[in-house]
Amino acid sequence: MNNVALGQYMPLDSVVHKMDPRSKIMIMLFLMVAIFIPAGVLGYVIIGIFILLSLYLSKLNVKYALRTMKPMLWMMAFLLVINLLVIKTGTPLFSIKGFTIYSDAVNQTLYIVVRLMLMVIITTVLTATTKPLDLTLGIEKLLKPFEKVGVPAHIIAMIISIALRFIPTLIEETQRIMNAQASRGVDLENGSIKEKIMAILSLIVPLFVSAFDRADQLANAMEARGYDPSRKRTRYKVLKMQTIDYASMILSVFVLCACIGIWVL
Amino acid sequence: MEAIEVSHLTFSYDGKNDILKDVSFSIPKGSYTTIIGHNGSGKSTMAKLIIGLLEAKKGKIQILGQELNEESVYELRSHIGIVFQNPDNQFIGSTVADDIAFGLENHCVEQEKMQGIIEDVAGRVGMTDFLSAEPTKLSGGQKQRVAIAGILAIEPNIIIFDESTSMLDPQGKASINAQIRKLHEEKNITILSITHDMEEVAQSENVIVLENGEIAMQGTPMDIFKQEDKLAKMQLDIPFGLKISKELKKRGIFKENVCRLDEVVEKLCRLK
Repeated sequence: MNNVALGQYMPLDSVVHKMDPRSKIMIMLFLMVAIFIPAGVLGYVIIGIFILLSLYLSKLNVKYALRTMKPMLWMMAFLLVINLLVIKTGTPLFSIKGFTIYSDAVNQTLYIVVRLMLMVIITTVLTATTKPLDLTLGIEKLLKPFEKVGVPAHIIAMIISIALRFIPTLIEETQRIMNAQASRGVDLENGSIKEKIMAILSLIVPLFVSAFDRADQLANAMEARGYDPSRKRTRYKVLKMQTIDYASMILSVFVLCACIGIWVL
Repeated sequence: MEAIEVSHLTFSYDGKNDILKDVSFSIPKGSYTTIIGHNGSGKSTMAKLIIGLLEAKKGKIQILGQELNEESVYELRSHIGIVFQNPDNQFIGSTVADDIAFGLENHCVEQEKMQGIIEDVAGRVGMTDFLSAEPTKLSGGQKQRVAIAGILAIEPNIIIFDESTSMLDPQGKASINAQIRKLHEEKNITILSITHDMEEVAQSENVIVLENGEIAMQGTPMDIFKQEDKLAKMQLDIPFGLKISKELKKRGIFKENVCRLDEVVEKLCRLK
């Protein structure tokens, strides 16, 4: 349970892992926009090739990428049913007991499923190849220009990185409280809904108390070490763009332009 | 000029019950002072006042000759560091190197110099092999050593230890105590340690005993431990080494008492 990480970073040695988080985030944004452009089958083929290429270059296991799709299956099934019921245009394909299925319904569903799949894969590639902290740093640097209009970029980044830092600590704490309460006879698994709610309360209340206590001590430690959010700070980690970053960004812009082109023409 | 000079300090959290009552003491540069006292005697409050996390009701604190107030606190924090009790709640970075860098970032050290400083201080606390380790993979003692490294990185004149060993296992406790002793010996850093650990008190130069917010006793460890009855009234013990030494003296084996266990061992080895 201690190894739970947000977005499940996969420590592999690949070109994509070595890329600058900023360029990876930008590419993801470009592709997200491209996915939502109705460029038809050709558009999805272009995006698909790009995404499969990135999946290949990142050395990620295809099985792993497919596994991340599992929670989406129900949603996809749900969309399929809704679409089959609602869309009544196009040519009727076949009918079961007087209920006709139309071609547009099938097409529409396929589009949505493909879109969802592409989006899941692209975010998986991003989070699996980028350490959470690098991601935070990338977000911070990308938000930097917006600091002039009052976006507190480095404060946002500090909040995210501290939250990430304390996820394992809080999981450990939860486990400890669960054990402590179980040893006092609290049953977290069995019982009626009311009993379960009471049992969970006995977990949540001490967890909150200790989390606030931790926050207080952490704030003291940060202040004592000279942290002041209103002051200028230097940074230990620096990001560096390389040829591969520029190349892949240009390529992703091409993909986006191609999709726009197909849509407009 | 003293490292820390506290004069007529009074403090209360609620405005009614004074936690510290008119406390005055001074700590010379380069010395190693421990503050002991029963729970609720105001020890930790004292540490928070000196580092400027709390503000005194009355009296003043001077650090390196400069008065601690709202304007000077930020500047003074580059001369003074504190290691707290809970190893988890002061680990800010997501790896050891990031955590050591945190203080450097706050004090605007240039990025190019950071790596060298980090490697240097990690070496001084014996954590070189763990620079890219995450905090969950470290023991309590290792986390406290990282905290010490993070403070050493900003080259402080004073380090405060606020019950830094109380949550550690005996091994971790011993390693941090040895680290503190090493710091005291090798560099001109003033050490102020708030502790329950009598073995650590025995290795310090000066002891301040707080009781109910007032200074009850002050002196060298030997002076303090001589008044065993008075200590017992405050629910404070004497170190194990001294207990053995006293028994040995009773039996005529030792002529003089010593405080530290390693001194006892050394003396025993030299007996003819």
